[in-house]
Amino acid sequence: MDPSEVEFLAEKETVKIIPNFSLDKIYLIGGDLGPFNPGLPVDVPVWLALNLKQRQKCRIVPPEWMDVEKLEEMRELERKEDMFTPVPSPYYMELTKLLLNHASDNIPKADDIRTLVKDIWDTRIAKLRLSADSFISQQEAHAKLDNLTLMEINTIRSFLLDSLNCMYKLRSNLQPGSSKGQAMDY
Amino acid sequence: MPCERKPMRYGHSEGHTEVCFDERGRFIVTCGNDGDVRIWEGLDDDDPKFITVGEKAYSLALKNGKLVTAGSNNTVQIHTFPDGEPDGILTRFTTNATHVTFNSSGSRVAAGSSDFMVKVVEVSDSSQQKTLRGHEAPVLSVTFDPKDDFLASSSCDGSVVVWNIEEQTQVISWPLLQKTNDVTNAKSLCRLAWQPRAGKFLAVPVDTKVHLYERGSWDHVSTLSDDLLTQPINVVTWSPCGRFLAAGSVGGLLTVWDANSKLCVERQKHEKGFTVCGLAWHPSGGQIAYTDTEGCLCLLDGLSTSASDGDAPKAPAKKPAKDYDALFDDDDDDRLVDEGLSGANSPVKKREDEDEDDFLMPATGRVRNRGAFLDDENSLDTGSLKLGRDKFGDDDNDDNDTGSAIVPPSAAPPVPLRPVYEGPLPTHPQKAFQSGSTPAHLTHRFMMWNSVGIVRGYNDEQDNAVDVEFHDTAVHHAMHLSNSLGHTVADLSQEAVLLACPGTDELASKLQCLHFSSWDTNKEWMVDLPSGEDERALCLGRGWAAVATSVQMLRLFSIGGVQREVFSLPGAAVCMAAHGEQLMIVYHRATGFDGEQALGVQLLQLGRRKRQIINGEPLPLTLRSHLTWLGFTAEGTPCYVDSDGVVRMLNRSLGNTWTPVCHTRETCKSKSDHYWVVGVHENPQQLRCIPCKGSRYPPTLPRPAVAILPFKLPLCQTSTEKGQMEEQFLRSVLFHHHYGFLSSGGYEVDEDGQTRSQKEQQELLMKMFALSCKLEREFRAVELAELMTHNVVPLAIRYASRSRRMALAQRLSELALEKSNQVQEEEEQDEEEPEYSGIRRPSGFGQSEVTGRRHSNRQREEEEEEEEEEEERGEEEDAQEMETEETTETRKRVNPFAKEAGSPVMPSLTPLGKVGRANPFKLAGSTKPSAPSGQPRVTNILDNMTSSRKSAPLAGSAGKANKAPVLKPLAPRPKPRSKTQSTLLHMTGTKAASKKTPDSTEPPADQQKQPEVPPPASPAENTENKRPKTGFQLWLEENRKNIVADHPDMEETDVIKDAMGRFRTLSADERLSWTERAKGQSGDAADLKKRKRGGEGGEDVEKETGPTGADENIAKKKKSLDPSSKLSAFAFNKN
Repeated sequence: MDPSEVEFLAEKETVKIIPNFSLDKIYLIGGDLGPFNPGLPVDVPVWLALNLKQRQKCRIVPPEWMDVEKLEEMRELERKEDMFTPVPSPYYMELTKLLLNHASDNIPKADDIRTLVKDIWDTRIAKLRLSADSFISQQEAHAKLDNLTLMEINTIRSFLLDSLNCMYKLRSNLQPGSSKGQAMDY
Repeated sequence: MPCERKPMRYGHSEGHTEVCFDERGRFIVTCGNDGDVRIWEGLDDDDPKFITVGEKAYSLALKNGKLVTAGSNNTVQIHTFPDGEPDGILTRFTTNATHVTFNSSGSRVAAGSSDFMVKVVEVSDSSQQKTLRGHEAPVLSVTFDPKDDFLASSSCDGSVVVWNIEEQTQVISWPLLQKTNDVTNAKSLCRLAWQPRAGKFLAVPVDTKVHLYERGSWDHVSTLSDDLLTQPINVVTWSPCGRFLAAGSVGGLLTVWDANSKLCVERQKHEKGFTVCGLAWHPSGGQIAYTDTEGCLCLLDGLSTSASDGDAPKAPAKKPAKDYDALFDDDDDDRLVDEGLSGANSPVKKREDEDEDDFLMPATGRVRNRGAFLDDENSLDTGSLKLGRDKFGDDDNDDNDTGSAIVPPSAAPPVPLRPVYEGPLPTHPQKAFQSGSTPAHLTHRFMMWNSVGIVRGYNDEQDNAVDVEFHDTAVHHAMHLSNSLGHTVADLSQEAVLLACPGTDELASKLQCLHFSSWDTNKEWMVDLPSGEDERALCLGRGWAAVATSVQMLRLFSIGGVQREVFSLPGAAVCMAAHGEQLMIVYHRATGFDGEQALGVQLLQLGRRKRQIINGEPLPLTLRSHLTWLGFTAEGTPCYVDSDGVVRMLNRSLGNTWTPVCHTRETCKSKSDHYWVVGVHENPQQLRCIPCKGSRYPPTLPRPAVAILPFKLPLCQTSTEKGQMEEQFLRSVLFHHHYGFLSSGGYEVDEDGQTRSQKEQQELLMKMFALSCKLEREFRAVELAELMTHNVVPLAIRYASRSRRMALAQRLSELALEKSNQVQEEEEQDEEEPEYSGIRRPSGFGQSEVTGRRHSNRQREEEEEEEEEEEERGEEEDAQEMETEETTETRKRVNPFAKEAGSPVMPSLTPLGKVGRANPFKLAGSTKPSAPSGQPRVTNILDNMTSSRKSAPLAGSAGKANKAPVLKPLAPRPKPRSKTQSTLLHMTGTKAASKKTPDSTEPPADQQKQPEVPPPASPAENTENKRPKTGFQLWLEENRKNIVADHPDMEETDVIKDAMGRFRTLSADERLSWTERAKGQSGDAADLKKRKRGGEGGEDVEKETGPTGADENIAKKKKSLDPSSKLSAFAFNKN
């Protein structure tokens, strides 16, 4: 799974938009959208919101959590806690990126938000690395992935799994008894 | 001494608050439990500046641009004012400080603390502290002697102590208060106050009284009290002149005494009766600001204490000139002179004078400017006057001994308390506003937010501009206009933007219209209003614009700029709204009293048929509120919102009354939250508004988002299922009225929506019916059934019978019968309508809608009837036995009632069939009321009904007889039937119904000449080659001889005329019988004789004609006839 796939999944999240056109309900396989009344907020998936935004057909209302104060609080909490704290949205990173890239004019203090989310992301990734390190060094059998988002897991998964495989091989070579057998295999 | 209590507003969260004015009186500064210090530029300031000083702020003091606060972090801090920069920590305690105060020069600060200590600190050098120890409990309050020698403090240990500051010793201590262990438990905050300037008295609130102690001797000189004061006084403050003393008590009572006369000169009750804990006197003396323990800030304005002070220096000037007059006259002027002569010794007379002044005010219609006190020039003037006088006073002080300017209390004449006018006080009439705009004094504001778009006004240093933005970019692209004229009001429609600016000395008030939808190249026009006339409110309708002006005039322009109308308004306009061709104007009807606004409303219909729908009726508002939004729903129903958040909508079906449909404040989380309404929609039911946290208006940035609120009628017990359904039903009905209005106005109606809401209503009724059945409320059930359309009643009957409620079912069947009669009646009216619809239509637009619906109902009912008939043909026998034995099979049990439900149709349809024939007679009767026996239409129908009902039990075939004439006119109707059959419980659109109507009725023209009218030719009749004869012709044949005998010399035409007259005088039944005979004759010649014989028998005619008519129909439409006749027979047997 690469990041673009995760982003694709994130595009299914809903976001509020304020359309500047009028359209009846549209009936899609994934569900009904609309009706669109000019000036009246309506919930649509991110992909549609971005499409409409690019065509200048709507304004995007940033999600509740995309607010400097709330993010600051979250960042502080994230820094204070050793464990992962709950994130505002399972796709917070993707949504921030998508919305800020395409609709930064509709989001107040877009730059601050970008920095804050990046800070939170960095803190979490650092934690993730740290816990991966302790996971390996203490040779734990399993780890809990509470409050981790798909994107975060995705960044570390391929590397971690490969390295675990490698280490397993190396370790099994080290063990007496099996080393012979292993050697014989080669 | 009337003073105005301004509406309170929320400033802080609940808890202790304090208030003070800055030295110049520009700002009100408050602090509260939320740790913020708020700086209000007057009470109307919607966006006060705030300084956060800590988690909590217990007390504050302000002098020389330094703001000293006691915070929860046990410190006393300084901030600069008004910038709010932290300026260091003055002192610290071991617990929090409870009260801080400046001395008169502002060089020192005293602070009392919960750690029993009082500290006096130099502001310039906080290291120079003096600590006063001696209290044995937390200190409640501290106050400086104006001469800076002493300091008084009160404490929870019950003592009030005067300290010598320099020596740090107690001068005197009075055990006056109740002992408590903490400030929070103290009954009273016991805020002390030392008389300013002279410093003669120290005021100490002791329970419900205020003790005055004399400086120096420390004697208890006098006590100020008031009978109305029943709860402990919390806080006292001297007026800046030192003559008046204000006190705020626990119960929210504010009292002002004159310290000289010891009389109570002013009493006010807190709006909500909250405990007053902060009190401050405006430096000019004209206002008192106070705060309470709920965090509210309030203001008393127009205290005339300062005015009386201001008068004093004027009086001596006048003295010489008026000296002689004083000897002779006794009018007001002389009082002034008297006053001048007697100086400050006659405060009573002064007050009297003022009282008279104030009484005069409403009478002369001169309304005192009670707007924001910043604009209030009067108060500023008196302030400056007073200041001048105070200087005099100071001089006096220096010259004479201490406090000579103030008459010693003992010297004041013991005058009894003068009756103060306590009746209702006039309210300041609210200013004109545009609904959907934020206040004009804001630099960035919404000039208009409506369903079309947003007009924003910017008026700051860089730019004075207007931004127009459309919700739907398909209307027009956004516009940016420079606002060089200084427009203050705006409106926006799909066609144009209308702007207006007030006039100045040189320039007249201008009206500017950007007609962007114009097809020519000139998209703008401008009109100057006559000089001296300013715009007050404006609005845009479809194709026109309206402006209400300051001279109570309304000017109508076409959208292209043609002046179309001008008329006078009954009062000063408050707000206007337009929708399509409707114009609604709200104006001041009269002066309101006690916080009420007396508003009137006019609703005008412009366009082709100009008329006034509501002519100047009072606009109902919630108590003590004002209008905040006026407009129409998207569907065109007038609506408004008051400051209490109640949305009311016009109920056109109840004589244009106003129904509250939503209370927006109920959904608010906090007391200070509001909803700013921007639009109302009836279909779907939406109240579009902007939630505003802690304010009444939204800011322009960040861009506010629209939220949707549901409507809720304030019915009783909406928590119960019954109440809920009643509310839903009533709301559905109320929000359904616009369909009738729209269709009467010739607009396109969303028929889907209409049928949906009708269905919803009927479903709700059915649910309520079922509920009341469950609750054994049969009477209520019948009441509910009465509300149902008559095609739903059968379902109710079925339900009742299924739940073994025979009595109920019985009643319901009667009701069903009645209902179908009504339908019948209305149908007839409907048919007659074309003749005088010109008169009828305007009065009741709902009518056509109703009848339209009835049509569809009737049609539907027929469907049902037929279906049921079909399925029941085999069960007739069982059905007839129903009366005697209880059949166990549900189907059988249900069916008889279904039949019963169906059966009422027959009587209802009978006249329908007759409509074609019988109607002409009725018309003749109604158009010629002079005819001796011309019966009114209604009885006519009832006659028919009773006769048919009477005849029914007589013979089994009676049903057939009744049915016979019915189906003929109904015959050419297969199309709608087939259409509806598929969707049985689905109502057909009104269009189908109205199309059908002309088919089933005769053209109205024929009705005029009834005798010649042949009955509608049914195929059966046409097959027979006989010339169809009318009843009149038959009658004429028989009676011709009589007529000729009476008037032998008559011409043939005259004979016919005479005969017509005579025929008309016959009773309806007789005429009917003749018509029936005529039909029978044309149908079956063989039966003619028999019929003629029987025809003489009057009522029996129907029975007689029955078989013949039935014969025809059986041949033609056997299917539906046979069973139904039997059913009806059964139904009537039951009766």
